[in-house]
Amino acid sequence: MPFSLEAKGITKSFPGVLANDHVDFQLEKGEIHALLGENGAGKTTLMNVLYGLYRPDEGQVFVNGTPVRLNSPNDAIKLGIGMVHQHFMLVPVMTVAENMMLGTESVKQATKWWGPLSILDRRQVEKETRHLSEQYGLDVDPTIPVHMLSVGVQQRVEILKALYRKADILILDEPTAVLTPQEAEELFVIMRSLRDQGVSIIFITHKLKEVFAVADRITVMRSGKVVGHTTPAEATESILASMMVGREVLLTVEKGPAHPTETVLDVQDLQVKDDRGLLAVHNATFQVRQGEVLGIAGVQGNGQTELVEALTGLRRAESGRVLMDGQDITNNSPRQVLETGVSHIPEDRRKRGLVLSYSIADNMVLCTYYKPPFARGIVMYHEAIDAQARRLAKEFDVRAPNIYTQAGTLSGGNQQKVIVARELSRPYNLLIAAQPTRGLDVGSIEFIHKRIIEQRDAGHAVLLVSAELDEILSLSDRVAVMYKGEIIGIVPIEEATRENIGLLMAGVTTKKEVTHA
Amino acid sequence: MPEKQSWDWGGWLEGIAVPILAVITALLVGAVVIWSVGGNPLVAYKGMLDGAFLKKRAFTETLVATTPYIFLGLAVAFGFKCGLFNIGAEGQFYMGELAAVWVAYNFQAWPAYIHLPAAMLAGIIAGAFWSAIAGYLRGAFGAHEVITTIMLNYVAIYLADFLVGMKGPMRDPRASVPQTRPIANSAILPRLNELPAIMQHPAVRIGWAVVFAISVYFLLKWWFAKRVTSTARKQAYSLIVALLVGVAIFIGLAHLTAIGGPFTDPADRLHLGFFLALLTAVFVWWLLNKTTIGFEVRTVGANPDAAEYAGISIIRNFVVAMGISGALSGLAGAVEVLGLQRMLKSFFAAGYGFDSIAVALLAKNDPFGIIASGFLFGAMRNGADLMELRSGVSKYIIGIVQALVLLFVAAPVIIRWLYRIKGRRGEKIVVTRGWGK
Repeated sequence: MPFSLEAKGITKSFPGVLANDHVDFQLEKGEIHALLGENGAGKTTLMNVLYGLYRPDEGQVFVNGTPVRLNSPNDAIKLGIGMVHQHFMLVPVMTVAENMMLGTESVKQATKWWGPLSILDRRQVEKETRHLSEQYGLDVDPTIPVHMLSVGVQQRVEILKALYRKADILILDEPTAVLTPQEAEELFVIMRSLRDQGVSIIFITHKLKEVFAVADRITVMRSGKVVGHTTPAEATESILASMMVGREVLLTVEKGPAHPTETVLDVQDLQVKDDRGLLAVHNATFQVRQGEVLGIAGVQGNGQTELVEALTGLRRAESGRVLMDGQDITNNSPRQVLETGVSHIPEDRRKRGLVLSYSIADNMVLCTYYKPPFARGIVMYHEAIDAQARRLAKEFDVRAPNIYTQAGTLSGGNQQKVIVARELSRPYNLLIAAQPTRGLDVGSIEFIHKRIIEQRDAGHAVLLVSAELDEILSLSDRVAVMYKGEIIGIVPIEEATRENIGLLMAGVTTKKEVTHA
Repeated sequence: MPEKQSWDWGGWLEGIAVPILAVITALLVGAVVIWSVGGNPLVAYKGMLDGAFLKKRAFTETLVATTPYIFLGLAVAFGFKCGLFNIGAEGQFYMGELAAVWVAYNFQAWPAYIHLPAAMLAGIIAGAFWSAIAGYLRGAFGAHEVITTIMLNYVAIYLADFLVGMKGPMRDPRASVPQTRPIANSAILPRLNELPAIMQHPAVRIGWAVVFAISVYFLLKWWFAKRVTSTARKQAYSLIVALLVGVAIFIGLAHLTAIGGPFTDPADRLHLGFFLALLTAVFVWWLLNKTTIGFEVRTVGANPDAAEYAGISIIRNFVVAMGISGALSGLAGAVEVLGLQRMLKSFFAAGYGFDSIAVALLAKNDPFGIIASGFLFGAMRNGADLMELRSGVSKYIIGIVQALVLLFVAAPVIIRWLYRIKGRRGEKIVVTRGWGK
């Protein structure tokens, strides 16, 4: 039986980069095939070739054994290839059914001869959507406007869109990057159901656990080349990790016991509202001491973002107090907070952490550009800035042609290294790291985790906010859990397990674990 | 990693290729329009070329028309760099003219070295004040600057018409047409042909000699600091060269008539404002790229969320960027009044402020690019009359060409497709951000 989709000898180069180097890839009918690799390994390039977005320099794509030319996504769609991008391509104000129709508007038969004035047949599309949704267990109501749906459901709408266009090959580009752990589980159920009904799925990811959860076969890519094929049964996490990175990787961080001393950050009864004016943080009270990592666990969207923003002056606190080394910094300006010795790795590196159109060098001094030696008075000294950037780029292993490279062209891991380098290079007492490894590859995660523990051991206070339970458990000395804006428990790491923290994350509390009054 | 950033010729050429091809394409399409209304494109464009460059005094007249374009182009670009769309350059230009002319015709007793700078400063302050209103409204209340600056344009234009108009308080009662009194001699920004007379005073020449000597001294010092290690020697070199330059300037300024051309032609209108515009372009480049002020403004423009995170105040920078933008517009008005018009007439609507949006866009907000695009717009404006005379085609055709230039620059995809230029990876020119936010 021919392969559903096959790529032979795909080579694609961009100025200065060989993104795909004679890549062979085979997708069998009715399988979930994980394409695993670090950021920048060439996974997305390969998928863009298969979806007709890029034309390869060399190589041939086959669909069901027939050689095909893919000049645009339209060609791919006609051949039954559907793609779900990381960033959704939906019109938020339209209903699910209307989004289905975009590009393939179906009209009432009787009015067809009216041409552009013919009447849209919403009812029919809604019926078909509902049918598809039931068939694959997607559970989507076609009459609801997309902006009212959660991210997880929006993703299912994207999948529906592909199915509506009769796709039997689905490409999912890092689908779990935007999902909560629970939503990811639901997605896996859907993926299995699609597979069982004959849909072939390419699942792009760099998360090892997910590969074992859902994949039938695995292809690993590294620096533009395929480095191996395997199956979940044959492989282990550490084998896959070393295939991806090209060397042995430590999946867990080695750290000794903490020796906490004085309190650095003292948060008392903090109340913060979100953008809609609803209370997002309720009476948060906690302390972070020198030489310890306090991890804040919780499913995303439980007030962590608002909490960190309030601590760093980016959002107004309604009431309560924030003390930094005993000094009240509640509702100070972001600049004042930075000056008291707070370093902040923001959760959204592309939105807050970097100016993507700036060079690496300029991003390295984003928070210190006005201080000597980078500036005296209003005059900036670019020699000093460049020297600092060169030093940090080397120390933090930022991989780029040079320090004048635009930050926006770097891979996610290197972007994050620029931010980490910047934040750790200025004098500080408290490091606030929000989702510091989100969307990063194994190698970068290992690197950043090591750095965070180094900071703790050097006597700094670290506040770690993460939705990744594994990250929390491997780095923290104490674990605070946020649920619906409240810190519903603070557990010392010795007593923390996946089970009891997981229960707290879901809002289930028992008397013993709740130390917070 | 390479230690030094090598000059990226390929990138530079690609950068200027689109604007240049946009201009050529616009002229070609303009030719079709001229032909379609019954004119001869070749005659028309030859007329424009003669009118802009080749006829007697045409070139210096082009520079005269270029002057406000450079100032205002810089003004609009400065706003863009902060993510602000300053459509109010026209109104700020008017406010600058009004303030400068008022200072310039009052205070007849002031000496020139106070009166001229005071009049210019008045223009700068008036322009800055006018635009800072919009900046503040944006920063504090989120009122979009496109709307507020358009509205402030009307206020400025009608205010000017009232003040200088038939019954206005600034009108010269002795003149038959509505206009202000002519400005005092002590406030004029000299034309080149007025310079020889002024330079007869040794005190003026000494003043200029000192200014040049000091500038040369510091420039050399800065230049040596980057390249030569021996400090005692470089001090001596700088001092000697600066002194020589000073002496040369002192002697040379007495003999300006020897150069001839605009220095002796009594009808030539080229004034020092043009050179001030060039200096201002250098200053704006420095301000944007070499100072913390520029860094903050550019950061807010490129990513306001990151700016906020880095402790850069968005509101403050909106006001600063709008203020500097308005200051440049006001200076444009002051220079126009003090150097060229020497008085202010009612209904003096010039339209420079609106054209300047195109000037800034064509130059991609690059201060040196604005000198070039300002020159192009100055040449087209100056050549339009002779084009109309020679070919019988309305001079407003030039407006169509300018609009086409803007269209092609704003939609570079058309030009890239037309001439098969490949885009560079990661290249994205963000002129201004969404209108809603």
